[in-house]
Amino acid sequence: MSDLENQVEEVKSSFDRAVVSIATTDALQKLKVQYLGKKGALTVLLKSLGSLSPEERPLAGETLNALRDALEQKIEDKRQTLIRAEDAEAEALGRVDVTLPPRGRPAGAFHPVAQTMHEIVAIMQGLGYSVALGPEIEEDYYNFECLNMPSWHPARDMQDTFYFPDSEESDGETSKRRLLRTHTSPVQVRAMLRYGAPLRIVCPGRVYRRDNDPTHSPMFNQLEGLLVEKDVSFSVLKGSLIELMNGFFGRELKSRFRASYFPFTEPSMELDIECVECGGKNSNCRVCRGTGWLEVCGMGMTHPFVIRAGGIDPEEYNGFAFGMGLDRMAMLKYGINDLRYLFDGNVSYFLSGRDA
Amino acid sequence: MIVSWQLLNRFVDLSASPEEAAFRLTMSGAEVESIERPGALISGVVVARVQSLERHPSKENLFVAELDTSKGKAVCVTAATNLKAGDKVFYGAPGATLPGITPHGAASEKVELGLRDFGEVRSEGMMLSAAELGLPDVDIVEGILVLPGDAPVGADALSLYGLGDVLLDISVTPNRGDLLSVLGIARELKGLYPDSVLKPMPWEENVAGTKDWPVEFGTIALPDDGCLNYHLGLATNVGIAPSPLEIRVALARLGMRPISNIVDATNYVMLLLGQPLHAFDLNTLPEREITVRSASEGEKIVTLDGKERLLTAKDMLVTSGKETLGARTRPISLAGVMGGKQTGVHDDTGIVVLEGASFSARRVGHTSRRLGVASEAAFRYSRGVDPTLSALGVDYALFLMSEWSGATTGYKKISAFNAQPEPQPVVLTKKKLQTYLLWSDMEESTQILEGYGIRRANKFESEKFGENVRAFTPPTWRPDIAIEEDLIEEIGRYRGYDKAPVRLPGVLPRRGDIGAETSLAGVLRACAIARGYVEAITYSFLPESFVSTLRLPDDDLRAHPLFLANPISQDWMTMRTTLLPGLLNGLRESVASGWRGPVRLFEIGRVFLRDEPHSDSRSHSAGHRELDVLAGLVYSGTDPRTPWAETRDDFLSVKADVLALLEIRGRGAAFTRGSEPFGHAGQTALIPGIGYLARLSPAIERELGFAEPVYVFELTLTVLENAEKPVYTPASSFPASFRDISMLVSNDRTQDEVLAEIRASVDERSSAKILESVKLFDIYSGKGIPEGYRGMAFSLCYRAFDRTLNDEEVDKIHNSVRDALSKKGYNMR
Repeated sequence: MSDLENQVEEVKSSFDRAVVSIATTDALQKLKVQYLGKKGALTVLLKSLGSLSPEERPLAGETLNALRDALEQKIEDKRQTLIRAEDAEAEALGRVDVTLPPRGRPAGAFHPVAQTMHEIVAIMQGLGYSVALGPEIEEDYYNFECLNMPSWHPARDMQDTFYFPDSEESDGETSKRRLLRTHTSPVQVRAMLRYGAPLRIVCPGRVYRRDNDPTHSPMFNQLEGLLVEKDVSFSVLKGSLIELMNGFFGRELKSRFRASYFPFTEPSMELDIECVECGGKNSNCRVCRGTGWLEVCGMGMTHPFVIRAGGIDPEEYNGFAFGMGLDRMAMLKYGINDLRYLFDGNVSYFLSGRDA
Repeated sequence: MIVSWQLLNRFVDLSASPEEAAFRLTMSGAEVESIERPGALISGVVVARVQSLERHPSKENLFVAELDTSKGKAVCVTAATNLKAGDKVFYGAPGATLPGITPHGAASEKVELGLRDFGEVRSEGMMLSAAELGLPDVDIVEGILVLPGDAPVGADALSLYGLGDVLLDISVTPNRGDLLSVLGIARELKGLYPDSVLKPMPWEENVAGTKDWPVEFGTIALPDDGCLNYHLGLATNVGIAPSPLEIRVALARLGMRPISNIVDATNYVMLLLGQPLHAFDLNTLPEREITVRSASEGEKIVTLDGKERLLTAKDMLVTSGKETLGARTRPISLAGVMGGKQTGVHDDTGIVVLEGASFSARRVGHTSRRLGVASEAAFRYSRGVDPTLSALGVDYALFLMSEWSGATTGYKKISAFNAQPEPQPVVLTKKKLQTYLLWSDMEESTQILEGYGIRRANKFESEKFGENVRAFTPPTWRPDIAIEEDLIEEIGRYRGYDKAPVRLPGVLPRRGDIGAETSLAGVLRACAIARGYVEAITYSFLPESFVSTLRLPDDDLRAHPLFLANPISQDWMTMRTTLLPGLLNGLRESVASGWRGPVRLFEIGRVFLRDEPHSDSRSHSAGHRELDVLAGLVYSGTDPRTPWAETRDDFLSVKADVLALLEIRGRGAAFTRGSEPFGHAGQTALIPGIGYLARLSPAIERELGFAEPVYVFELTLTVLENAEKPVYTPASSFPASFRDISMLVSNDRTQDEVLAEIRASVDERSSAKILESVKLFDIYSGKGIPEGYRGMAFSLCYRAFDRTLNDEEVDKIHNSVRDALSKKGYNMR
């Protein structure tokens, strides 16, 4: 064995002994310098190549290069090992109790009635309906008269109305007296006058009646729909509402259309949907009171009187209208029993189930 | 309206069960809200005869009766004093059941009778009062209900006097005044069940009288055309007494209190036929003439309920006397609404003058709505009463009076008529029928209409139009049928709307548009909810006190809310001019309900502002506008502790929320120092043209009991409806150089002012725009900082678009900027 071979063997074995005890990447760097640095053991041997004869040099060079490659590989392997170990240790130290409460603000919450409104409006947009809005302080004319409800009409008994003081003074000029709209229906005539026919709108909004008991709030929310086109059949009203209900509740619900009466539609109907709570299977159901049906929407073919009040010729166009309580829809969907929780802004109700 | 199944069957021969009929009625427009069987709680009660009645051997005030029940003898103890031997009574043996009586007198769950010892006498069940049968109004005597002498001993109570009747509670829509009677419902059922048969009216034929009146009576004048016709009938030798038991039971079950045979006869006829009647005592009429006229402005009448009514010219009066110049006739009744107090029937009335009249729905509706009187008569008249019923009603009631009180009847009616409205034919076309219902069998439609009494009009025979156009004349009791759509409704509701096919609306030349307001609300609420806010909907009404709570001064429009003329309570009497009070109330409710964590609320809704302040806040005239507003409120909570470093909200954290709401609409916003009447003097910002952000003044926080600061903001939404489009610019491809500036800034100067001066200084020193951004990265006070100052440190980013800025160039400009700021009086650090 030549001298060089001995030296190579020695460098190799001393490196192997040293690398085993290396525990940090810093120590590994030092070891690397010790062998491969400018004055490192292997560098010294490489420098000694010059003293060899030209015949010996290629072989010796090959041996030393192989040794250098081997050492570099071992150092790299060791580095990877050490980094893994160090990362593992750092990660162990950096452990977070993932069950701790989050820092920063939790999300807020939607109001079920507002959510209901936005959902229904989106469903109806898909059927080509646009949103039209109207004033909450209305004139008697739009709220009643143009809807075929003159001042003596008994249908007004169903809608106890809030008035403003200007109402009492002139008995003659009643049609301009201000009141809080009792339904979203006044938007029908306003929209017809503004947009003409053909027309497809929904009108969400607040409405007011002089009632206050566990099932009536003096303020509540409705959504009105109106379609005025040519040769409109009741079947299209039916289709629109079935889509609305199924879309809102997210499943196919049984429905039935009952004859009813509204002064501004003729014929008039009401829609009952299957009880969303019991499906008609519980004779003591608190939601449907055992009837299996929930009354959710009044509707009808728009009365020619109303179409005419909207500036449209009822001989040319006809249509339909419907109106529903958004609060009721929200209560049915979210299982809310008491209307009064909806309007007091108590966060503990809307964040139910969350920690204070 | 409650309808008796037994009475219904006296008008129509029906094979359907109450349940089947109720379903058909409900689906075709007369919603049956419930089917009641009040007798279901009664069982085992039979007729018994009191054989003997003796005082209880030891207990005072008690009696012992021995009863014959047809199944044997029974002993009953009672405290009632109205019995005598030979009386017939209802008897419940041990095991019989009765409706329990709740403390409010309403029938509830049934109770079972048993044996009960009264001293040495054991009572086997009991003899029953009307109240114990669930009919407290039926018997005017305190005590056991004494039955008519012909009551069959041993018979089950439920087979007698209508006690086993079935009641339908029907919700009658305002267009169908004709359904407010048993007759009306019977006709409706006849329409629904074509095979059923209407029976003749339940009184003797030719009941109309022929005799002249034995007393002097003048004429009837109808100067007001609101009275279509007016009939007076006469009953003499009237003996006021209770009505037959069966009638009292029927009245009580249908919701009317039995009073006397005469009054009950008028009410009974009204319930059966739908015709309101009014009985006058002849001797109380001031004059024996009747004039139905409109009231004078300011005229008064005291009605039966004792109230004085102030009238207008639109009201109609039945008066006594004949109109002469200069003298008005004397009011005896507010026509169709309520009788006068002076002229009603009394216990000693001997001669009854019976009024049956047809008053216009419109006029009665007007008066009853204006006065808020919803009497049974006004309720019916305002929904339309068949004008041909008035004469029949008088005949029927006189017949009943003679049956029940032995009165002498058979006198001619005195009548007067105005022009009678003739039902006009209405045309039905196959085309419209097909359009509406997608069905158009004209033959079947004709049958359906005729079933409802709507006859094909012969005079409209149409070679001209063929079979596709037919005319129909509605009966006198259906004034609601006036246009073609009304006929289509009759056909549609008979067939059932569930039969109609389902179609979706066709294509429109226009997309559905959510609209600017609603889509803005959708974006803002999503943003606010994501940032931790709870969405609220609060009342649009506020108590008047909100103005003083918020310290709103007189020159602030928000201090002049619109007042309701008829508020429901003091708390809800004005229309809100700001959403703030609603959210503060939400905070109060949240804290009161025990919520201790942070409260973040927002509401999107309208405020109502007058166009100008008004000195008398309760009056009116000035116009108003409605504005869409978003308001927010933040409160750290009564227990804001967390394991983490300070996370409590403050003015600047809420500012980030407000900015987020604006930036999502493409708007930055300048916040300037401002003031609000309710704002903290040092923590109130105006967002010009949009709104404000403020901490509540400590005084208001204290007053409302909030221990932690309350931050509030309110933004006008109209200006945000059109989102500003963002402008995109790529970053410069050349590197940036960063330099810091640290300086003392007087507390009077805002950050925005300092930033503006830094920017101006750089711009003055460079031809091209090279200051990419300036960012405040530190702010400090305390040690080494003089009073009234704070240290502010800014990081400036220099960068050009067309070249690399070298260090020398940047240093030169930066130092020059420092010098310039120094010269402006800033103490550079």
